[in-house]
Amino acid sequence: MKRLVLAGLVLCAAAIATAQGDQDLLKPDPSDWVQYSGSYNSHRHSLLNQITPANAATLQGKWTYHMNQQEAIQAVPIVYHGVMYVSQFNRIDAIDARSGNIVWQYQRPPLTRGAQRGTAIYNNKVFVTGADGALVAVDARTGHTVWETKTPAPWRLAGQAPLVAKGKVIVSGNTPSGFIQAYDAETGRHLWTFNTIPQKAGDPGSETWAGDSFKVGGGPVWVSGSYDPEQNAIFYGTGQPGSQWAGEVREGDNLYTDSIVAIDVDTGKIKWHFQNTPHDVHDWDSLEMPVLIDARFQGQPRKLLVQANRNGFYYILDRMNGKFLQGTPFVSKVNWASGLSPEGRPILTPGHEPTVEGSHTCPSTAGATNWPSPAFNPDLNYFFLVAQEGCGLVLRTTNRPGAGGGYLESPKPEEAWQLYVRALDATSGKKIWDYQQISSFHYGPGVLSTAGGLVFAGEHKGQVTALDARTGKSLWHYNTGDLITSSPMSYAIDGQQYIAISSGTNVFAFGLPRTN
Amino acid sequence: MKIRYICVLAVVLLALAGGSLTVLAQRGGGAGGRGGAAAGPANPFLGNAQAVDQGREIYNQTCTTCHGPDGAAGEMGPALGAPARRYAQGTDAQIFEAIKNGIPATQMPPFGTQLSDDDVWKVAAYIRGLRGTAIDAPAAGDAASGEQIFWAKGQCGNCHVVKGKGGLVGPDLTNLAGTRKTASIVDALTKPIHKVFGDGGAIPRILIPNTTYQPVRVTAADGKVITGVLKNEDSYSLQIMGTDNQLHMFDRARVKVAYEPTSLMPTDYDKRLTADEFKNLLAFLTRLYVAAPPPAPARGGGGVG
Repeated sequence: MKRLVLAGLVLCAAAIATAQGDQDLLKPDPSDWVQYSGSYNSHRHSLLNQITPANAATLQGKWTYHMNQQEAIQAVPIVYHGVMYVSQFNRIDAIDARSGNIVWQYQRPPLTRGAQRGTAIYNNKVFVTGADGALVAVDARTGHTVWETKTPAPWRLAGQAPLVAKGKVIVSGNTPSGFIQAYDAETGRHLWTFNTIPQKAGDPGSETWAGDSFKVGGGPVWVSGSYDPEQNAIFYGTGQPGSQWAGEVREGDNLYTDSIVAIDVDTGKIKWHFQNTPHDVHDWDSLEMPVLIDARFQGQPRKLLVQANRNGFYYILDRMNGKFLQGTPFVSKVNWASGLSPEGRPILTPGHEPTVEGSHTCPSTAGATNWPSPAFNPDLNYFFLVAQEGCGLVLRTTNRPGAGGGYLESPKPEEAWQLYVRALDATSGKKIWDYQQISSFHYGPGVLSTAGGLVFAGEHKGQVTALDARTGKSLWHYNTGDLITSSPMSYAIDGQQYIAISSGTNVFAFGLPRTN
Repeated sequence: MKIRYICVLAVVLLALAGGSLTVLAQRGGGAGGRGGAAAGPANPFLGNAQAVDQGREIYNQTCTTCHGPDGAAGEMGPALGAPARRYAQGTDAQIFEAIKNGIPATQMPPFGTQLSDDDVWKVAAYIRGLRGTAIDAPAAGDAASGEQIFWAKGQCGNCHVVKGKGGLVGPDLTNLAGTRKTASIVDALTKPIHKVFGDGGAIPRILIPNTTYQPVRVTAADGKVITGVLKNEDSYSLQIMGTDNQLHMFDRARVKVAYEPTSLMPTDYDKRLTADEFKNLLAFLTRLYVAAPPPAPARGGGGVG
């Protein structure tokens, strides 16, 4: 990990023509950032180490690219061999990642605004979704359409970045209920669909919904997942049950909502599941990124899956079988459960169901964390996340069965929402350090870890900060001047490491001053 | 100890009040009302309080996942009640169309298969009602007398500007009645927690100035103390409007910052004023309105060269 991975790196524009395939995804060149989370294990840990705590204070802007006619970018840019791809619904811009100059732009009509979170690359194709359910493969060199398909009715894709695994483009969605689908990356042919909740009586999990109450829907999937080639499985989080504030119309655990599911990438069949929040009434989606870690746990080398969940607990699972190993709160106030059972089931405390008057619940529905991605530094065994301290009032509009609801920030000043970048020991869940993001109190961008020993964190209102990965100390910051709603990433060209992050409708790239 | 005003709780207060929403909704929509230009058919349930209540019920069962309870904004959709939003300028027919058929090229799906046309119109009537502000039905009372109270006994002008006159620490109230509901103004005068529109969990779409008016006391390196309200802050800097009516900018690393727990805004006006004085002040406040400028004339005619 300590070797200077930039050394000897020579790339040129002609490299764009290089066919890009499985190896580039299985073992990505550290100079590239080939997918939403950077790598299949979702570490968001760049192996580039040119920027360090010793020189981070000298970081400077290299270029800015404006993505015209769009709303705030939520996509994480990807970079392959010097070309950056930034997406929206129906849209990809290809940029020279050295200069910020546009190379080509793909715009499928109509111009669409919405929360779209990224693209993916495979075999000279980049993939983009449309708000109308379209999935399009675009030539990575020209922006020309290679194939276009549409999600079969009644499904509708959500805005998560596609994940390419074993030649399949994995996408997902929320409508009419949660699903994950695979399409052939070469042809666009639909291969399989996994439904996150039962579609009819007798389907797996239907026994955990009273009667046919699974018809209320739920289990949306609007964030990408991880992939373990060795296990031939993808790992995705799923969202909350329908009728989200009114559990009385769907008694039971409501599988596979608010769960982590392991899906066979060839067949779409479920291998195992772990449900973080059975019978959820707080809208605590489990869509926080599942991070795959190979580490010693309680003295044994284990293949782990860890997740900091919206419900306030940091989970450590055995990813070979989904078995619960450990779960600890990662925020200071968790009052809805007194802990987790040996199987990982929350031990509920009374009085936190939504009510017309509002019930006091910590964390709030906004969550102890949310979809902005965490990161993992394997050298330090630190798990970095955006933690939200604070509590909420959870409401329903009436006492009638199936009533709607909502949530508010707790009116107690000491329970106001406040974001932190937080480092945990990845295999104990213990807090190592905090960095308070002053004035940030809702969601915020995810984080990036680098082998140089840094954590890069955007703040919702526009600051980008470099933190010392060991201590959390701020070493450098830059105000991008607009909302930041996506995670930072890193790449390299010709021996120069870049940190890129979207802010508003712009992409910013930072790097050290050149010495040559 | 830092506090943040709870921008959203008043939504609940409004929801609990219930009836006031209904009254507003009865006025809303249709041709002739503010913002109610007559493109498309009028809402058949205009003025029908029962139908508006039914619309609220349908809304709160169907729309809250994205738009939040009572239109406060949710995790995916925008606030429907915020007056400044472009949605607020839509006609009833446009609202009906958006609900029934969805909005192309957005995440707004069609509800026409799920809701009858009548139900869609009822929801549209309810949404229309969310948008009314105080100027649509100013409170009864002697506004001229209320103006006197504003500047004298109420001491409102120490912190608030009306038409260019007054103190700078609080919000400018020149167009108060065009942006707030009467119930919200009453809450602001009488309740410690009183703001109306908040994110309710939504991610803001654009960077906007801070509206918390958080009281703060800053001690500079030379010992000088500045009190005022936060205009903005981050982990590295502070921007403050001082009680001296001057802007102050600070490098956070060089000062000590104390957040005051209590708002500078008094919330006992129903006690410090007589009932008549309060009524008259409300009459004045609910008439503070600046009409939107007429649409700019279409370009053309000038030509080039």
